[in-house]
Amino acid sequence: MLRRLWTLAFAPLRARRGRPAALLALAAGCLALVFIEHTPLTLLQNAQFDRMQRQSPRDRSEMPALVVAVDEKSLAALGQWPWPRQTLARLIEKIGAAEPLAIGLDMIFPEPDRLGAASLRKLYPQLQGARLEDPDERLSRALERTPSVLGMAATNGLPPGARTALKVTPVLSRGGDARDGAGRFAGALASLPLLEASARGQALLNAQADPALLDPERGVLRRVPLMASVADLPVASLGPEMLRVALEAPAVQAWVRGSEITRVGVGEYSLPTRDNGELILHFGPFQADRYLSAVDVLEDRVPAEHLRQRFVLLGFTGTGLQDRVVTPLGEKVPGVDIHAQVLESLLSGEALTRPHWIRGLEGLVLVLLGLGLIAAVPRIRPTVAVKLGLMTAVLLFGLGYAAFHLGRLLFDAASLVTLLNPVFFILIGNTLVESDRQRRLAEEALQASRESAARVAGELDAAHRIQMGLLPDPASLFAGEQRFQVAAHLEPAREVGGDYFDCFMLGEDHLCLAIGDVSGKGLPASLFMAVSKSVAGALLRQHPEDLGAALAEMDAALSRDNREYLFVTTFVAVLDVNDGRMDYVCAGHDAPWVVHGATVSRIPVAPVSGPPLCACEGYPYQRGSARLAPGDRLVLTTDGVSEATDGREWFGNERLAHLLEQHGQEGDAVSLAEALRREVRQFEAGAPPADDLTLLVLQWWGPGARPQDPPPLSGR
Amino acid sequence: MELEAVVHPKANLVMVRGRIDHGSSMTFSELLHPHLEKCKKGNPPLILNFSGVDYISSAGLRALMIATRFARNQGGRLGIAEFQPLVREVFGISRFDLVIPCFDTLEAALGELA
Repeated sequence: MLRRLWTLAFAPLRARRGRPAALLALAAGCLALVFIEHTPLTLLQNAQFDRMQRQSPRDRSEMPALVVAVDEKSLAALGQWPWPRQTLARLIEKIGAAEPLAIGLDMIFPEPDRLGAASLRKLYPQLQGARLEDPDERLSRALERTPSVLGMAATNGLPPGARTALKVTPVLSRGGDARDGAGRFAGALASLPLLEASARGQALLNAQADPALLDPERGVLRRVPLMASVADLPVASLGPEMLRVALEAPAVQAWVRGSEITRVGVGEYSLPTRDNGELILHFGPFQADRYLSAVDVLEDRVPAEHLRQRFVLLGFTGTGLQDRVVTPLGEKVPGVDIHAQVLESLLSGEALTRPHWIRGLEGLVLVLLGLGLIAAVPRIRPTVAVKLGLMTAVLLFGLGYAAFHLGRLLFDAASLVTLLNPVFFILIGNTLVESDRQRRLAEEALQASRESAARVAGELDAAHRIQMGLLPDPASLFAGEQRFQVAAHLEPAREVGGDYFDCFMLGEDHLCLAIGDVSGKGLPASLFMAVSKSVAGALLRQHPEDLGAALAEMDAALSRDNREYLFVTTFVAVLDVNDGRMDYVCAGHDAPWVVHGATVSRIPVAPVSGPPLCACEGYPYQRGSARLAPGDRLVLTTDGVSEATDGREWFGNERLAHLLEQHGQEGDAVSLAEALRREVRQFEAGAPPADDLTLLVLQWWGPGARPQDPPPLSGR
Repeated sequence: MELEAVVHPKANLVMVRGRIDHGSSMTFSELLHPHLEKCKKGNPPLILNFSGVDYISSAGLRALMIATRFARNQGGRLGIAEFQPLVREVFGISRFDLVIPCFDTLEAALGELA
């Protein structure tokens, strides 16, 4: 029952060698590929692309951007953050004096300094009227004098402090409105309008890490927006904005196709982006040598040349300040490092891309390879199929690596291999199940055929014994006979055959010898042989005096129920053992041989020989006569002798005649029969016998007693 | 083992080639059958040209015997012409020349049967 349920449950998978199920799996795979962002496959995709980046990270030997870091050392020397704005102003002025290309502040000043004029007067009313240096104004002046870019944090919704009225340099859209495709934010947390006004530029600081599956806090940062739409204003991020300030360009440019952003940059420096203006950053390894301690800059421990003609970012690295991100390279770096890397990428023009057409290509490859597998796997052997599957995977991954290394294109081989897997395993599973079934069936068939062969062999063996038992044993039959000796050999070509011989006494003085050959060989012939021999035996005993009539009656009796149209050639002789007179009849049989001394002749049967029994209805068979001399040997054979072959030629009558001349006078009937049999078998040299082989040898000694000792008792 | 019908105005002439032995006698019978079907009363005789037959076994003779009976039942005439010596000897010894009309030449066969 359980087995049946099991079989039923898997029946749909097994139907038509798994092809419909595989097709379904392929369709599901295509669907998953289309909506890949909503599947766990994105994890695999990201892991794969991260791995490629780790294997060949971006070269960072050029050092166009430096970070002046608010690090532990600076905090130790200058006290807790936030520092007084005068200190920051001095720091910016120090940097500015070294003539950098631009200074980017990865920080925001939304509230007035707590030691600003307003706060102080509130704390110390006695200061009313005194002229106080306002720290914000001080910072504002510093910003004004340097190529400075302030940061802002775009927000979803408007939390306290966030606003929609912002001072930004507009982004110039080309080919469409960049705001349509860009990420949208309601407002931003920006610096005081006073500071905003004095800085050369203001830029987006946002960079959202991809949420990790298990721990959203520990996501990996892979993409950085180069621009976004904040309060319906297109705003560039820190990298491009600093580049704009350095180049003194009027605007950052965004290339738009339809509602999708394709590139963002300034002048000749631009990078391809995703539709929403995000850059897929090709990360380089973290390099500590681009980090300068803010306190060292303040206290002139950094040579001015070091900062000259470079982009300088001002950011936090102090561990307490918690601005750290994880990169695809697996490093945990200060957030400001991302902006430095964006700048480096902009200058060298390096970015990773995953254009629309590559997703189309992935879909096409999935469908083609899937259909290819569905067509091929059920037709080939499982081992070949596994090799094919492995080759497909290797090919896809190879394509992925080639795309990354040659074109910085992100081709998602891992997802394709993953989606092809179910297709492949359904198919190969079915192939294995099928081949297992075939093997089992073949084994069962083999077992059955062995059993059946054994059974048939057993039956044929029994049939052989029965057939041999039908034949007389001349040695025992004529034991003690002094006037003649008979020897015989019958060897069927197969287990049973269609030849027979017979020898019996008709009264005291007449010996009947018969030899017959049923057409064909094997089992069919053997059945007819048995009938023929018994009919012949019965009729010859009935008509001992008229052989022709006996033969005609045999013909009639055998023809009566012979729907298979078998026929029998036969030669029958009746020898008067006292005087050597021999009557004979012949029905299409080879003429017997007579060995008289050294001469070998044949009984001239031609004038009386008729057609084989059952071949020609109602033929009037005639009797012939011959006379043997004492000592003569009569040799009857079937065509198993004359048509024995060694593969090149027949044994033939000439060879037989020659042998009879050679051996005809030696030994007795038994030894002659044995010699002839041996010669024929030697001639065949182990080749399977072509036909049943029968030999019947009579030696007539004449009316007197046999000259030698009684014949040895031996087999027929 | 192959049979080839030869166009002849006075007979259905069929060239027989190869050995007709225990293994090929079935094929011989099957190939012969379409020619036998036409061998009936009123039709020209079917003459098998045996000049291409190297050997015939008792199974082959049996096939010929069955063919003869078939033709006779349809009232047709069937004969064999032109033998290789060994095959002629087989027909002589087995006296199958009494079962099927055998002729040394095609002309003799045509003269007798057509």
